[in-house]
Amino acid sequence: MPGGYVGKIGIIDLTDGSIRIEETCEVLGKKYLGGKGYALALLYEYAKELEEKGKALSDLDPLGPDNAIVFATGPATGVPGFPSPGRYHVMALRSPLTGSIGSANSGGEWGPFLKFAGFDMLFIKGAADSPVYISVVDGCIEICDASDYWGKNVFDTDDLLKKEVCGKNVSVACIGPAGENLVPMANIVNDKHRAAGRTGLGAVMGSKFLKAIVVSGSGSVPVANMEKFREASREALEKERKNSVTAEGLPTYGTAILVNVINNAGMLPFKNWQFGYNPEADKISGETLAKNYLIKRRPCWGCNIACGRVTSVKTGPYQILLTEGPEYESIWALGNSTGVMDMEAVIKANHLCDEFGLDPISTGSTIAAAMELRQRGLIKDEYLHGIDLSFGNAATLVESVWRIAHKDGFGKYMALGSKRLCEIFGAPELSMSVKGLEMPAYDPRGAKGIGLNYATSNRGGCHVTGYTISPEILGLPTKIDPLTIEGKAQWVKAFQDFTCVVNSAVNCLFTTFALGAADYANLLSAVTGWTFTEDEIMRIGERIYNLERLIMSKFGFTDKDDTLPPRLTSEPMPEGPVKGQVVELEQMKKEYYRLRGWVNGIPTPEKLKELEIEL
Amino acid sequence: MQEVLNVEGSNIIFLYYQDIESLCGANMVSVKVLLFAIFREKYGIKETELEFDGTLNGFLKALGEKISPKLVEDIYDQESKHIKSNLIVMVNGRNVKDIKGELKFNNGDTVAIFPPVAGG
Repeated sequence: MPGGYVGKIGIIDLTDGSIRIEETCEVLGKKYLGGKGYALALLYEYAKELEEKGKALSDLDPLGPDNAIVFATGPATGVPGFPSPGRYHVMALRSPLTGSIGSANSGGEWGPFLKFAGFDMLFIKGAADSPVYISVVDGCIEICDASDYWGKNVFDTDDLLKKEVCGKNVSVACIGPAGENLVPMANIVNDKHRAAGRTGLGAVMGSKFLKAIVVSGSGSVPVANMEKFREASREALEKERKNSVTAEGLPTYGTAILVNVINNAGMLPFKNWQFGYNPEADKISGETLAKNYLIKRRPCWGCNIACGRVTSVKTGPYQILLTEGPEYESIWALGNSTGVMDMEAVIKANHLCDEFGLDPISTGSTIAAAMELRQRGLIKDEYLHGIDLSFGNAATLVESVWRIAHKDGFGKYMALGSKRLCEIFGAPELSMSVKGLEMPAYDPRGAKGIGLNYATSNRGGCHVTGYTISPEILGLPTKIDPLTIEGKAQWVKAFQDFTCVVNSAVNCLFTTFALGAADYANLLSAVTGWTFTEDEIMRIGERIYNLERLIMSKFGFTDKDDTLPPRLTSEPMPEGPVKGQVVELEQMKKEYYRLRGWVNGIPTPEKLKELEIEL
Repeated sequence: MQEVLNVEGSNIIFLYYQDIESLCGANMVSVKVLLFAIFREKYGIKETELEFDGTLNGFLKALGEKISPKLVEDIYDQESKHIKSNLIVMVNGRNVKDIKGELKFNNGDTVAIFPPVAGG
């Protein structure tokens, strides 16, 4: 294999306990890089095998043994000098939360350490009949008994497994009680506070009785052309150093700084998206976090930006002596969306999400949806066992996280996610989700492009599929008007395609505040030894996005699923800076499909041929 | 002003109001200014009110006098005569870069000033 890869993929069948090691494929590497793209290529082949066995994909149970999950690094991961190379990507053929592709990304150390342990990727299918963990140490993969760890929270599991598998560069990715209990909002947590958070991949692990994957190794990642790489790396890191966001904004305040920015733009969803401006948002802002709770920064492996926060609540009912975060999205979902303006309760709730293995975005959003159902009188007292589901109740927030993870009391209902919860209680329109995935912290009535991105995002309501907030609100790489719809389809497509490249390279999306496709072409050419142009890089991204869409279509997804909750398209924002705005989705979608070359939201055979996607 | 005070009462009142207008300017506006992130730390101010003539120059002059001339240097590019392009400055939630034509302020506006920031 060329540089950037360690050359091996572990294929693990938990049903029969077999382990096979395959070489990483050069052809697939050139077409899909690694990470998300390569994982999709593996899942697509696997899906075809299932179909050949007569299994209809539309019937595939996301929590059944036929679902597969891939832990994938890319040619950037673990390469010192590549900007922010400390990440990995997880893909599942089907998400238990959305029924679409499962996809999530995480930082920390686990990704690089998987490569140091000798593997580019792990492909896992089947299901064990008792708890297991997978040990990947210096080129050897073992399936080990995890009975002693089943039932333990994330922090204890991490500590205990690090003691058991003691080697160089040890890192644990595991599930907590939420994953074990098959909560479809469960995530996979590595290094205690970093998570592949979205689409319920922790429940997929739980369904396979897979508690954890421990990696350890002393290897390194080869670079094809070191001289060229040093030059490309120096240029890229210099751009990051000169960029005020990557050099100052993110290191100084982390992501939480956006609370006040987005609130002042009138698009910080408040009380389950009933409003877009919260006059008290400063109480849970990045400034408040930095002033009262921040201890220090914590970077992911090899990262110069270091946006991670180590924090502490020193006294009071929500005391936590040491934790990490919360990030902007977590603060918003657990705090602003639920109306809880108590930063200490938000930090506690976020800590519990890490401890139990829950996605804070979906968790907070589901609690907020429950609060609106209650506000409207749709949840009767007998369901609540005394819980006060009023907006702004801090104690309810904290208690609800525990109840969701353990499916306890009313937590049984909230653990289903907001879509199913709102359907059960008769108001599906109150689930602020797309394809069943709860949307993140930007109301698109204040930035139309992000609305088109949410609607067309393959994994559901997601901002980091195509983060057009960057040009629309932050002015990066250039400022565009957030309230117009003209040209937004093109921006969304470009961001979605480029993000696929980043998630397949695999490094951090935050580098893209300073770096573009040309920088990635230089860096990846030097690392791999292949020659990529800027156009080829974008074409790889487009190929990946189309392949993902093709697989989704086999589950029955069409343009009818590329939609937004009616609140955003037909209820004008009631007050604040973007009062009166709605998202003119259908007009933007039409242009978007035209640019994509899709019919009914599905890539045409001609488009697939053009992108060299083999059927 | 001295002459005005020597005429009859009704005229005194009339000319008094005229004088206030000329002192303050018919277009004097009062705006709320919010500072965030490093600006809040550096100048020790979260929120203040400014009164000026509604123009960008007036705003900058009042900002310099009320908070610090250094803040004006932080946010305004003297060469291009524009708010620095890497900052996020909003008037009533609207980024000044999205406001077409000359930037003018109205009574009751809220101006939010952020350094270069981002997140996800």
